[in-house]
Amino acid sequence: MSDENTNDLNTRLRRLIQTIDIANVLTEPVTASIRRLLETSAAALGTDEASVLIREGDGGELRFLSAVGKVADQLVGMTIPSGKGIAGFVLMSGQPMAVSDAGDDATFYAEVDQATGFSTQSILAVPLRFHDEIVGVLEYINRTGEPPFAPFTPEEIDQAAVYADAIAALVNAYEAAKLVRDLSTRSLSASNEDDLVSMREWLSSLRRSADHTERMELAVLLRELSDRGDAERHLCKELLKTMLKYSDEKNESSFLSY
Amino acid sequence: MSVDEQEFLATMSGYFKPRHNWREATGVGVTVAVIDSGIETDHPDIAGKTIESVEARVEGNRVVFDPSEAGDSAGHGTACAGIIARIAPDARFASIKVLGAGGLGDGQVFLAGLEYAIKKKYKVINLSLGTTKPQFFAPLHDMLDRAYQAGCIVVAAANNLPQPSFPSVFSSSLISVIKSEATDPLKFGFHYGEVIELTAPGVNVRTAWLDKGHRNLTGNSFACPHITGIVARFVEGYPNLTPFQVKSALYAIARENTPE
Repeated sequence: MSDENTNDLNTRLRRLIQTIDIANVLTEPVTASIRRLLETSAAALGTDEASVLIREGDGGELRFLSAVGKVADQLVGMTIPSGKGIAGFVLMSGQPMAVSDAGDDATFYAEVDQATGFSTQSILAVPLRFHDEIVGVLEYINRTGEPPFAPFTPEEIDQAAVYADAIAALVNAYEAAKLVRDLSTRSLSASNEDDLVSMREWLSSLRRSADHTERMELAVLLRELSDRGDAERHLCKELLKTMLKYSDEKNESSFLSY
Repeated sequence: MSVDEQEFLATMSGYFKPRHNWREATGVGVTVAVIDSGIETDHPDIAGKTIESVEARVEGNRVVFDPSEAGDSAGHGTACAGIIARIAPDARFASIKVLGAGGLGDGQVFLAGLEYAIKKKYKVINLSLGTTKPQFFAPLHDMLDRAYQAGCIVVAAANNLPQPSFPSVFSSSLISVIKSEATDPLKFGFHYGEVIELTAPGVNVRTAWLDKGHRNLTGNSFACPHITGIVARFVEGYPNLTPFQVKSALYAIARENTPE
């Protein structure tokens, strides 16, 4: 690769980084979808306040991943210790539930209300399940309008469980995107200029190698042949499989060598 | 209903009547283990009723139980105890706090809590927790068989979400309960032939909550303690009842409660 090409690549990379939020490029579309689904479901359930809490690690701690409503900005990022509050219970028990104020001063999970200044009087909480795992909790708080708020009904719990299924799938996609994001961040921060230089050198030596060129040509031939139709693709596959089988039976790495 | 079935029901309905009327019982001499988030022991609705409080602690690869003064971390255990106390006011509680232990994951801690209750031979066990992880299917099944063989009566909250949850799908070794909109705790129902067999009040149930308060609660896990309270009443008169006998009696009464 010429210096000119390298510089061109660097310039393009820099431009790309300047125009996108590199840290959130993978996770942002997923969190935006979760937020939209939260808004839609909250409206359907007659409330303005909803949040998604996700499990952090194996200890059962919960973190607010997304929220809509008056104190949404304060909630996102906040954590709840293992087994605390209604969300903590729903995570551990897998049991959906609705809790409403009976008109006294007892708290739900005081720390969250204290931090946000919000007054929680009615909660609907359902577990977020993906396959066999409970990945978090979906909560709806209070009702649209002024208190006293009507309690959430069993039908609304069932309705929330349907939204929870969709949100749980998105939470799983978020976790996967976050994993890739974290891995790339880690590999980038671990690399220094020397690593990049050695990587560039390895790549150019690979491209110069006759062996590599031959392999690439073979791959191109295979692609061209298999693009001609199902029968060609099938024939290609069978031929290669037969050759490999013959090689295995001869128990030699190369059946053409003497 | 066939004649045979009517005869059977008549026998079962009369089972408690000659010597003991469960409708008047209060759970005297019965200890109920509540495997949950702990119990707020000084809540006015249940003060003085908790004879043992322990909490799970993860130590390496195992779970140990220490005496606890932590109370209730979520409100749920107190709510369950409040419901049980309303139905069986003279029953005593053993609070086995399994929530918040962290470390090994929920299934294993909850399994250890159940084992602790069985080892201590608590006759009635209220279980509102469950797990959907398949790796706990076999260990939980074994543990519930142990409970059955030890004569412990385990009452569990059913999970009516699409995925099956253990242990509430184990039909033979425990009693599973689902919520109904009924309000009279003595008028529970029975879904004959279904895995989740019993129905009990579980919608807008007013009960004890944290900080000496009360809440209105909806969920299967609040239906479960209603049946636990009824079982505590049975056990007052018949301390050696087997899980099979309890289930049969519940069935007979539920059939009386909901005539066809």
